[in-house]
Amino acid sequence: MKMEDMPLSGPDNTRLEALAHDIYSELVEDACLGLCFEVHRAVKQGYFFLDETDQESMKEFEIVDQPGVDIFGQVYNQWKNKECECPNCKRLIAASRFAPHLEKCLGMGRNSSRIANRRLASSNNMSKSESDQEDNDDLNDNDWSYGAEKKTKKRKSDKSQNSPRRSKSLKHKNGEIGSGVGAESYKYNYNTGISYETLGPDEVRSLLTTQCGVISEHTKKMCTRPTLPDADAVETDSFDIPDAQPLMSRLQWEDSDISPTDSASSKASTNHSDSRKPKKKKKPSLPLNSGGGGSGSGSLAGGGGSSSQSNISISTKKKRPKLSAPPISSIYDDLN
Amino acid sequence: MLKRIMSKDSQMRAAINQKLIEMGERERLKELLRAKLVECGWKDQLKAHCKDVIREKGLEHVTVEDLVTEVTPKGRALVPDSVKKELLQRIRAFLAQHATL
Repeated sequence: MKMEDMPLSGPDNTRLEALAHDIYSELVEDACLGLCFEVHRAVKQGYFFLDETDQESMKEFEIVDQPGVDIFGQVYNQWKNKECECPNCKRLIAASRFAPHLEKCLGMGRNSSRIANRRLASSNNMSKSESDQEDNDDLNDNDWSYGAEKKTKKRKSDKSQNSPRRSKSLKHKNGEIGSGVGAESYKYNYNTGISYETLGPDEVRSLLTTQCGVISEHTKKMCTRPTLPDADAVETDSFDIPDAQPLMSRLQWEDSDISPTDSASSKASTNHSDSRKPKKKKKPSLPLNSGGGGSGSGSLAGGGGSSSQSNISISTKKKRPKLSAPPISSIYDDLN
Repeated sequence: MLKRIMSKDSQMRAAINQKLIEMGERERLKELLRAKLVECGWKDQLKAHCKDVIREKGLEHVTVEDLVTEVTPKGRALVPDSVKKELLQRIRAFLAQHATL
């Protein structure tokens, strides 16, 4: 084959191919040399044979290459088919479901209190017996069951009412009335069979001025949505804090989580609120460290958005009848 | 005339090599090759071979030259075909883009 007969790109192609191969060979040689230097250094520094010094342990930890067994020689699904007897209910539970079952069975897990509360609440409502523990365990074990799914809609409202966080924040308040209302609101939510006729007029008034009070047809539960912010802002005047204005202006921004870091009751929400703190807080420490402010902050910090709102409303509500007019008007002046 | 062709060729090679280095492509190719060789077990194989060589020559007396002469030919032969193909492909792509003919 003569050079002239080849297509014009021919010689170039072969040259390029040769060049490519040469470049490749250089790269491979670089890699080999690199390895040689590495090994040589390891030899001279004395650490090249370190992994081979102990013959016994070498045999012990040798890689296992058998079927049905992992490289350590362990059978990996050994416990899959075993069953364990629950010490509480004496049932035989599959090993992989044992831990969650124990959680529910002993009532010690995160969800078990929530589920128990929900059960209590709905057992007043619905006549079907949900108090059969075994069935509920199965229901709750299997997150995808229909019964569990039905309950998920209520879970959010339940959580804000029933979570320990909320009850703790209520306890932090100075006035016992605050916690009293908290307890009452629990009661109102649970005893949904109780209608407004059974409550006394004072109770109804105090209830309806703080919360919405509408009873849902489906769940027969009373809505605990706090009343409108304007009403709440008025109530905040009742706080006997030296410098109420920043606190009040903060209160008016309903959706912000105003929880300060001193509140011990809500650690989770502080993360959320801390991110917003730099924007809105003017005087972080002053109003909050004082006595009334401490309780106010405790209430403010109670949980997420909705619950914080209800906490604010509850705490402010309860202080109103106590205090006299002058503080209110003075703070109005500040506003103006 | 052969000389002229040769020198043209070597000129081109030098130019291309320079471009390879300047654009960082050579480094990238080197790293790519190293990674692939480790992945496919070539490094461990060769290291085992080194151990044999060292045991043969004696731990105290082994030199870099010994290792190089023993290890490099085997290393070149042990590179798996897939790795070789991929590298060549990348080099050809680079040449196609940057080789002025």
